[in-house]
Amino acid sequence: MADAPVAWVFVIRLDNVTKSFPTSTRPALDQVNVDIDKGEFAFLVGSSGSGKSTFLRLLLKEEIPTSGKVHVAGKDLSRLSRWKVPALRRSIGCVFQDFRLLPNKTVFQNVAFALEVIGKPRHIVDAVVPEVLELVGLDGKGKRLPNELSGGEQQRVAVARAFVNRPMILIADEPTGNLDPNTSVGIMKLLDRINRTGTTVVMATHDAAIVNSMRRRVVELEDGKVIRDQARGVYGFAG
Amino acid sequence: MRAQFVLSEIGIGLRRNLTMTIAVVVTVAISLALFGSGLLIRKQVETMKDFWYDKVEVSVYLCGQASQEPSCAGQPVTQEQRDQLLADLRATPQVEEVFYESQEEAFVHFREQFQDSPDLVENVTAEALPESFRVKLRDPTQFEVVAGAFQGRPGVEEVQDQKALLEGFFNVLNKMQLLALIIAGVQVMAALLLISNTIRVAAYSRRRETGIMRLVGASNLYIQLPFLLEGVLAGLVGAGFAAGALVALKKFLIDDQLKPTFAFTAFVGWEDVLAILPWLFLTGALLAGLSSFVTLRRHLRV
Repeated sequence: MADAPVAWVFVIRLDNVTKSFPTSTRPALDQVNVDIDKGEFAFLVGSSGSGKSTFLRLLLKEEIPTSGKVHVAGKDLSRLSRWKVPALRRSIGCVFQDFRLLPNKTVFQNVAFALEVIGKPRHIVDAVVPEVLELVGLDGKGKRLPNELSGGEQQRVAVARAFVNRPMILIADEPTGNLDPNTSVGIMKLLDRINRTGTTVVMATHDAAIVNSMRRRVVELEDGKVIRDQARGVYGFAG
Repeated sequence: MRAQFVLSEIGIGLRRNLTMTIAVVVTVAISLALFGSGLLIRKQVETMKDFWYDKVEVSVYLCGQASQEPSCAGQPVTQEQRDQLLADLRATPQVEEVFYESQEEAFVHFREQFQDSPDLVENVTAEALPESFRVKLRDPTQFEVVAGAFQGRPGVEEVQDQKALLEGFFNVLNKMQLLALIIAGVQVMAALLLISNTIRVAAYSRRRETGIMRLVGASNLYIQLPFLLEGVLAGLVGAGFAAGALVALKKFLIDDQLKPTFAFTAFVGWEDVLAILPWLFLTGALLAGLSSFVTLRRHLRV
């Protein structure tokens, strides 16, 4: 693509993006312009329904913008053919509030699943999975089932699964939403460590304490519009 | 693509959905067994046509003492009429060969044919049987031409086509074939709907897995292949049962029952049955594969 070198400065670029759903009169996202640098850690804050989830879904091409352009890793997603969408998703790891682990698979198998379904051979899976389990602080717990773990540990498994393929971008949609404050701090430290390996992290959250303590970039959405974009921000306007 | 992974997914899917899988196998088996029977009946008709059309003749019966037909004028055929008819038959281009059968020869044949019924033979004399020309046609379907030319000629009592007797039988067989194919068609529809529903249930019960697969960037093929192969496997197992049913039909009905009872005619051979079997498997796999594919496109969007 001709614009690749320019776009590569920003690993994520939303260019005047509007997303309307046919069932709603107000657009979920309204002329949003956001650039996120390679290696950046960005919080996406705003009340429920402000458009955070739609923002994240656009990056995965689970939604297509009504107008405007979304670039991920230098690629214009509107020009990305359907069969190349899986390749896009392999470069983006995802973590959710509800963990989304497979209950009948062990910790090891849950993480291995992400590699198996993209066709990675056994010996790579066997080598890489213990490594990433150690990184998230779950070494020795590979044989446990998800329901034998605490919420924080389950979220660590989810982070391990999202990160095991070493994606360029990690998307986290309220990853601490189901966790108590102490456990949340642990998850945030983990995401911070992953960010320091050069992975761009975009995290949607409601958690003011976390945002305030991290002092990272904050993009605030309200009714689908960006109302604030601060390099080292806090949750509210207080700072 | 990791075969072991795909295979274990198929195993999980089939087990989780066992009752539906059994329903699919049974419907596919019934529809394909009927489909195969339809093909076998058609083959049987062809076999019998090959066997009989070589042997069937057109019989031109000549007037006898008691003939009532107007063309006989109440008299037996004369030598002059007989010679004229023979010459004309030989001159007809559709006719391959003509044999003359006298009343005595007819009586000998009659006695042979009904040797199991002595009472009947006792009561019949040579005079009661008509003399005839036995006409062999180049093409057994050209009967009308010969019948049209000779029916009602002086000295001819009746022109009879042996093929007509067979046609009645073939009609029955053809209707059986049609019936088998119609029922097979209805069953195929039921099988298609069942397969579609089974795949839908399977896709729903594994939405968690497929959701994660999509998220981590598994390709369409990788997500859909286990479901597709599940359908195809069920289709093939169904075809296997249908093949078994067809082999049983050949062995126990045709070979053990019909063949000894109706020894005078030919029946489909094992090579005909074996020729049908691959079609059953192909149809089973295609049927299941296509309906799975269509269902997946609708219910497992990536």
